[in-house]
This record gives sequence, C-alpha cells and structure tokens, in this order.
Amino acid sequence: MEKLNIGHGSGGRLTSEIIFQILQPFRKENVSPYLEDCAIVDGNIAITIDGYTISPRSFPGGNIGELAICGSVNDLAMRGAKPNFIAMGLIAEEGLAKDELLSYMESAAKVCSELSIQLVTGDTKVLPKGQVDGLYITTCAIGTPPSNRDPLGMHLITPGDVLIVTTEIGQHEATIAALRYGLSVPSLQSDCAPLWPLVEQIIEMDGIKCMRDCTRGGLGTVLCEWAESTSLGIEIEESKIPISNEVSSLCDILGFDPLYLACEGCAIIAVAPETSEKVLSVLKAHKLGEKAQIIGKVTEEHKGYVGMNTKAGGRRLIDMPVGEMLPRIC
Amino acid sequence: MSSPQTEEKMVLKLSQALNALLSKEGNKSITIMEVCGTHTVSIFRHGIKSLLHQSFKLISGPGCPVCVTDQSEIDAAISIAEREDSIVTTYGDMLKVPGSWSSLQECRAGGKSVKVITSVAQALDIARENQDKKVVFLGVGFETTAPATAAALIEAKKEKLDNFLVFCMHKTVPPALEALASSEEVSLDGFLLPGHVSVIIGLEPYRFIPEKYGKACAIAGFEPFEIMAGLLEITKQIIKKEPTVKSMYPRAVRPEGNLTAQNLLNQVFEPCNAHWRGLGEIPLSGYRLKPEFEVHDASVRLEIKEYASSPPPGCRCGDVLKGLISPIECPLFGNPCNPMHPVGPCMVSSEGSCAAQYKYDRRR
Amino acid sequence: MCLAVPHKIIKMLDKNRAIASAGPVEVEIRTDIVPDLAIGDMVLVHAGFAIEKLVGTEGEEICTLWEELREVMENENVFPSN
Ligand code: SF4
Repeated sequence: MEKLNIGHGSGGRLTSEIIFQILQPFRKENVSPYLEDCAIVDGNIAITIDGYTISPRSFPGGNIGELAICGSVNDLAMRGAKPNFIAMGLIAEEGLAKDELLSYMESAAKVCSELSIQLVTGDTKVLPKGQVDGLYITTCAIGTPPSNRDPLGMHLITPGDVLIVTTEIGQHEATIAALRYGLSVPSLQSDCAPLWPLVEQIIEMDGIKCMRDCTRGGLGTVLCEWAESTSLGIEIEESKIPISNEVSSLCDILGFDPLYLACEGCAIIAVAPETSEKVLSVLKAHKLGEKAQIIGKVTEEHKGYVGMNTKAGGRRLIDMPVGEMLPRIC
Repeated sequence: MSSPQTEEKMVLKLSQALNALLSKEGNKSITIMEVCGTHTVSIFRHGIKSLLHQSFKLISGPGCPVCVTDQSEIDAAISIAEREDSIVTTYGDMLKVPGSWSSLQECRAGGKSVKVITSVAQALDIARENQDKKVVFLGVGFETTAPATAAALIEAKKEKLDNFLVFCMHKTVPPALEALASSEEVSLDGFLLPGHVSVIIGLEPYRFIPEKYGKACAIAGFEPFEIMAGLLEITKQIIKKEPTVKSMYPRAVRPEGNLTAQNLLNQVFEPCNAHWRGLGEIPLSGYRLKPEFEVHDASVRLEIKEYASSPPPGCRCGDVLKGLISPIECPLFGNPCNPMHPVGPCMVSSEGSCAAQYKYDRRR
Repeated sequence: MCLAVPHKIIKMLDKNRAIASAGPVEVEIRTDIVPDLAIGDMVLVHAGFAIEKLVGTEGEEICTLWEELREVMENENVFPSN
C-alpha cells in the first residue's frame, strides 16, 4: 500500500503528482474546470484557501497567526486582487495554552487591520490531545481582482519577458530550519509579510504579466513550473539572485540549495521588457521591495527548462526539488 | 602576472589555461575521476564541466557514502528501524535510500522512530534521554566522518551509556582507490582526491597511486577555484608524465593528516573487509568496532543477520560508481528511474552521480 | 563525500565543546578531534565536529595556488588572456 510521506507536502514534484491525483475524481465529474492558487469566480470575486501548520508555531519574524493571514492574502495579491474578507477555521489540540492561541489571533488581527481586511466567519474545533499537533489554521481570503485588466497568469508570459524577484530568497524556511536543527542565527528572520501593499504599487502598470509568491519549494520550483507549463525556456543569473549572508551560510552548513527554500514575503514577477526597469524602480521604492532584482528572462531556447549561469561562470539546469529537504553530511 | 583578485576570475583563468594546455596536446583525451561525491555536486552545481573542452572527461567515483553502502547494509538498517525497542538516529542522507522492501523514510511515515540528526553528539543526547530504548546510530561515511563516531563511542563507554549503539558501515577510501586504479575495466589517467578525507589521513596513504599505478593525483577543496586548480595540476602531471600526489588544499590539509583523529580511529575501530556497492568486497576497506566496544556494537547486541540482498534489478549504479558508464547510459535513467521514483541509491543521495546528472544536466 | 564548512571559534565551553560561527550562523560544535583550539581560530566543521584548523584565508590560498600553477602556465606558454 502506498502511503503519503512528508515529501508529498513539500512542494516540488511529489506535491504536483498528488494534487493531480486528488483532482482526478472532480475532473471526471466535470466539476472542476481549472484550479489555481487563487480563483476568479463570477468575474469579480477572487477567492483562495490554504491550511497552515508550522513547527515551531512562533519564530523570529512571525508566528502561525500572522502566517495564516499573509499566506492567503498573498495568494490573492499574486492574481492582482485586493484582499477584503477572511474566513478562518481553527483546529486546536486539547491542552494548548489559551494565551498562546490568543497571541496568534492578535498578530493575525494586526495584519488584517493594516490592510483593512474584515474577518467575516470562522470555526473553532478542539480535538483530544495527540490528534493534532498544537494548532492548525485554515484561512479563506476573498478579494477584488483588478477591474481594468486581464487577470494575471502564466498564459500571458512570452519570450523576452524579464523576471524580477522582490526580495532576498529563502528567509522563511531558513529561519525554521535554523530552529529545527539547533543553529542560532541571531540576525535571521522570516520574511513573513503581506504582499498586497507592494503589489498595489505596480498593479496598474503596463507589462505586468504574471506573479507568484515563492512559498513551498521556493523560487526554483516556481520557475520550473513556469517553464514547464508555458513550454518556454527560462534563463537566470546566479549572481543576480538576492540572498542574505544568513541564508547562504546556513545553506552551506546544512547542505541546502537556497533556490528551493520557502519564502513567505517574496514574489517573482514576469514583466514585459519595455517596462521592467520602471517596475523595478517602483518596487525598490517600497519597503517590501528594497532588495528587488532582475534575475533573468524568458527565452525561446531550451523550452520547458530553467537554465542558470553560475557565479563560477558555468551553466547548469535547475530542476524541481523532490520531497523534503534534509540536512546532509555529504 | 599577478594573482587574480576574485574567485570567479581565478576559475575563468585556470579553465582557459587548462583548455590551452589541452589544445597544445592536440586535445588528446584525458579521463579523470572525481572520487568524492561533494566534488561531484560542486562540479554540477557550478556548471564546471561547461567550462572545459570535451576531450577532458570527468567521471564520478565511489565517493558518496550512501551510494556505496551495500544493499544488505541498507536492509539491515531498515530492520533496526522496524524494531519496537529502538530509536534509529541517522544523518539525513540515508533517509530516502530504497531498501529491498522499505526505506527509513517509509518506516518513519509508518510511525517508527527514525530521527534525523546533524551530529552524532545529538544521538548521545537522545540515548541519555531515552534509557529504556536502544538508540542506534547509523555510522556511514568515510575517514572524515568516522572520527566523530569514534569520539562518541569513547564518551558512551566512559559514561556507561549502554543503550547507545552504533551500526558501523564506515569505509576507508584508499583501498577503494586501489581497486579502481588496478582495475582492467576502468581506464583512468588520474584522480581528483577528496579534500576532507585527506584532512584526516594526509598524503601518505595515496602514494601508491602514482608509484605503483602511474596515475596523477591532486587533493582539492570544494570551491570552484580549488577544483579547477586541482584539475589543472592533474593535467600538468599527466602531460609532463610526472605523476605524484599534490595537495591543492593547503588551507586544510597537512601532509601527515590529523593525528588526533587517526589516533581516535585506531582506538575504536579495526579494519575489516567491506562490501561496496558496485565494487564488491574490498579487503580491509571497512571499519568495525574493536572488541572493547562490543557493548555498543549494534550488529552484536541486536544480533543483526546478514541480509543476502541483491541490488535493484536493472540498476547499474555499480558501473556508474566505477565510472564505466555515465548515468545517462543506464537504460533506466530518467524513466523509470528519477529522483521521485529512484530505483537505485545513486538517484537518491543528492550527491549520487545519477541524481546530480538528472538534477543539473539531464538535457545532454 | 564530506561536506565541511569553515567556522570561527567564538567561545570555548569545555575541553570538547565550543561555540563557533560561520558568518552570521552560530552553532555548538565538538572539538574532540582538534585539540588546543583558541578563540578566533578558524576550523573546518563536518557533521558537528571540528576536523582541522585552517591556516590562512581563502584569498591567501588563491594566491598560493596561483603561484603554484603560474609556473606551468609560463613554461607551457598557456597564459590565459586577460
Ligand atoms: S539511473 Fe537509476 S537505475 Fe540507473 S544506475 Fe542510476 S540509480 Fe541505478
């Protein structure tokens, strides 16, 4: 009997495979036309849902409550949609400290208030000890897509488009990995942040084609998905990818590839070449985009693949990661 | 001409020099084995092959501890994880390797106690906290990794921490190199030797390679410029027909190696014959615990039987490890064997040759 | 085969343990294999254990290796272009 393993939830190939299988019954019944991280229904409603579980629940730069709002808001923002409403489901373990739960709700409320989002409905369940690991949160975010333009998406990407990363990659998962494997990195923080305020600056601009937040599986996974789904090639420059000292040292030690580390406040944007510089300068003017960089472009060569020019001057392929990233000694 | 200021320039210049040297020799074909899996990964990750002329062939050797671990040992490790009275502690590298009927990752998904650690010191802590369980550390790796296991065993013995056990699969590099250098099947001009193994054992144990087999050797670190310097040095030796053992990693490697580490190894381990995947049994190429450490020896305490396991059908990891074929020449490469559904260990370990080829360079 | 990363010793805890840093990352390491370390020493760390003291910097090594190979390049007249 085939069982699910951690890898099925780590982004990357195993995740794509299991999602495909999960959707199969719906496809057969013709009740699922097309699924995206964020759907636009009835022309003017953007909707997304996501579940959040993280260990530890509180980490430098955020906690599960903040994450649960930011994550879903970001899914909306990536389609250019302004977040308006949140629905939240809590599943908690018997014995969880009430104060702890409430502190997460305070963080969540703070993000909502900053973005003028209303919490409109919710659900709370408490399960016997041992049946959940502390606390799981599910949030559904509802918003308004931009009215005067086509919804953004991969279908708009064409050869020549320029790729912009909005901030340093890998901060979130590196923070979690440091906690998990006993490394102390005082200056390292999760990048957990709602991206709508940044997206709002550029969404009216011409030439914006497609955006994705680099969550599970990181930047590398998003690029691979783009290349595979559009059947176009992607070409990036290793030296241009923004990455902090903290993340690159941690990756050296644990044997991780930063390209595959999850981010929670970092997006990759495909922009038409004519407007790319303008978009970049607008991004850089915003707090969340100060470290934005053009990292590469879409090409007609090596269709379906992502190629990278390395710092050492060589060339290599970027592939999707498979399963959970594990610290290695070799 | 002054030395290049940056690493990047150094890599570029050394590769230009190497290519020029090759072309002066009419681009005669040169085959070098990078023994160490960390070199393999570094070479792929930095795209180093793309900088070198085609006549320069780099093939990957048996330097991934996970890949050379024999199927029978993997199966034995899984059988330990399946016991109710034990906690298996392992470096992350071993988790996904497919055994004959399961893998450590599957054991963990099935609720068995398998813990990923980054240092054997953590396994000691787990043993202290779980006195009612046998805490079994899977000792994989070469001379670089074995001294840490030795230090942990000495500490456990001193503390009488009798529930700390080691399942010892450690191997030593020079005997495997002898097997490769003397092989009639494989024809190599030189070896890029592993930097961090050499930190422990020094230069002496490699001398037989140039002296007895006339093959060029350079020890290198893992930065692109260090690898490139190593490759240029080897090429020089080959062209001048002056094979020797040269360290291009002076920051870290002392000619005599790390004597404290060697001493620890001698205190705890004794050489034994070991099975290497692909290379078969190599005399005195493994470590086993000395009798004084028997209470900590998992194979004795848990009465682990020898599994007569055979490698996965069709998998040519053995030939890949010997450098006889490149991974793409394996009929299973890509389909059905890929990192998502690995058939053999070379596709599992991130430094396995097949995985590295698939991840970084499968479009060749 | 063996991933090892340079760390700087920032605190000695006892005979066999120290706190070391690799850039901004701090970690407790074992020093059983490399005796007589002092604060400020650079060591290579593999699987949580220091395995050797490093001498000199990467920059110095670049110079050493360059000098080393310069002779080959000169003799063979294969100097790379600038
Ligand atoms: S491609 Fe797969 S089956 Fe073939 S040698 Fe490599 S690991 Fe074995």
